[in-house]
Amino acid sequence: MTAADLSGAAPALIEVAGVGKTFSRRGSVTEALRGIDVTVRRGEFVSFLGPSGCGKSTLLRVIGGLVDADRGRVTIEGGDPRAARAAKRFGLVPQTPALLPWRTVEGNLGLLTEVNRHGPESRPLDPDKVAELVEAVGLSGFLHAHPHELSGGLQQRVSLVRAFALGAPILLMDEPFAALDEITRSEMRYLLLELWQRTAATVVFVTHSIAEAVILSDRVVVLAARPGRVAAVERIELPRPRHVEVEDSEDFHHHVRRLRHELRLGHSA
Amino acid sequence: MTAVVDPVEVVGEALGRRSGGRAVLGWLLPPVVGVAGLLVLWQVVVWAFDIPEFELPAPSSIIAHLASDPSFYLDNARTTLWEATLGFGLGLAAAFVAATVMAHNRFVERAVMPLAVLVQVTPIIAYAPAVVIWLHYGLRPILAITALVCFVPFLFNLVTGFRSVEPATLELLQSVDANRREIFVRLRVPHALPYLFSAARIAVGLALIGAVLGEWFANVSSGLGYAVLEAQNHNLPLQLWGSTFVLAFLGAVAIVAISTLERAALGWHSSQITLL
Repeated sequence: MTAADLSGAAPALIEVAGVGKTFSRRGSVTEALRGIDVTVRRGEFVSFLGPSGCGKSTLLRVIGGLVDADRGRVTIEGGDPRAARAAKRFGLVPQTPALLPWRTVEGNLGLLTEVNRHGPESRPLDPDKVAELVEAVGLSGFLHAHPHELSGGLQQRVSLVRAFALGAPILLMDEPFAALDEITRSEMRYLLLELWQRTAATVVFVTHSIAEAVILSDRVVVLAARPGRVAAVERIELPRPRHVEVEDSEDFHHHVRRLRHELRLGHSA
Repeated sequence: MTAVVDPVEVVGEALGRRSGGRAVLGWLLPPVVGVAGLLVLWQVVVWAFDIPEFELPAPSSIIAHLASDPSFYLDNARTTLWEATLGFGLGLAAAFVAATVMAHNRFVERAVMPLAVLVQVTPIIAYAPAVVIWLHYGLRPILAITALVCFVPFLFNLVTGFRSVEPATLELLQSVDANRREIFVRLRVPHALPYLFSAARIAVGLALIGAVLGEWFANVSSGLGYAVLEAQNHNLPLQLWGSTFVLAFLGAVAIVAISTLERAALGWHSSQITLL
């Protein structure tokens, strides 16, 4: 039984209702998000797909309680995003690895766990479980290395495991593979799926890559730009666990074509 | 038994880390050649142009003079080193407190910055007599002057350092609701360390200037600044240059000490990979 099988029946974990966000900077006003409605169920893997400037990263931050919405409402497990953030319910994977250069890989993996220890509801993973994840992404030999000794791909693996090690039920990923080369990026997608399948986490993943969204997701939310709004929602009906061969299948290409079409429609609207 | 490859070791070798006496020699030789070259050139110029001693003594005469009365220079060096070290420490401590407040409050930062710039651009020598009037003769005005000149570079660099945190890392810690103190200790202070060491290199020279200057105004009877003043009043060129040599030596030793500390503390920092 995989997380995908559950997604239909599982209760809503994240509810975004009528969310709007406007930034005003030096007199110019930008409407980043308008009337966003999205529901994410427990255990689901949902991607926000859209061109740059469509507000997908802003939406991720609104969900994570890092940016407040101007209009509408976000509820996380029935509560406020800020409260969820205070309770350490989110594991963030930023676009850059964001590792502390003076800490070893091991030290970096523990960073999120060791701050805000007062009354968090999330339980960090057991050391054994973390060791398993470290092993799974091939970092076992690098626990005592410093970030500057690692390649970009290895650094991003540390960033992934760091988020999973927190044991948070919701993982927020902001184009974590965008800065990697194509070969490494492809490898990282399947590593992420492997990590995800070992945990029961819910993932919200921001990307501008159609293929990435199809490979990873249960559902893809297509966002159109200026203002950022939901253009379409596509359910990805590919069997799990997914391996690289999935990219050769006709279903995969079917989804890619449909999403490309939706993106184009959203862009011209 | 299978061969175990330590990835750290492999990377270390790839970076071309060398070991052994040859590496140390290669590292020490150029600066030694540079300093020796200057002294030789100086010596030759003094001989060739027959420069009188009261204008510019030869390095050989200065070194002979230093050797003739080592305890005089040792005592005075101890005094000045103590003053400079204390002033350096006070300036650093005060700057750390001020920069911590400034890093957490934009209003305070914007209010204090122009004052710091004013302190930096106003020649200390202009108001040093006033400091002596406030604090009277002796050690106190010397420490105040030294601490003040060191304070400014430490403040500028620490404020910059505390703010140099990568936005993504900051947001990462905010995503788990880390509080300001956790962010300060885990993120801002380590990020400020490279800046702190840059400031320390600048402050070493300033601390010696502050201590010597302080001695001139504070009516003391010990220290290398005092020795310089006495040399001027009694026309003792060898004592003037002897004191200058010792001051230069103290400064150089302090810089080497700071660099060593920096390399030990900042092995992770990218600027360290190519330094020296």
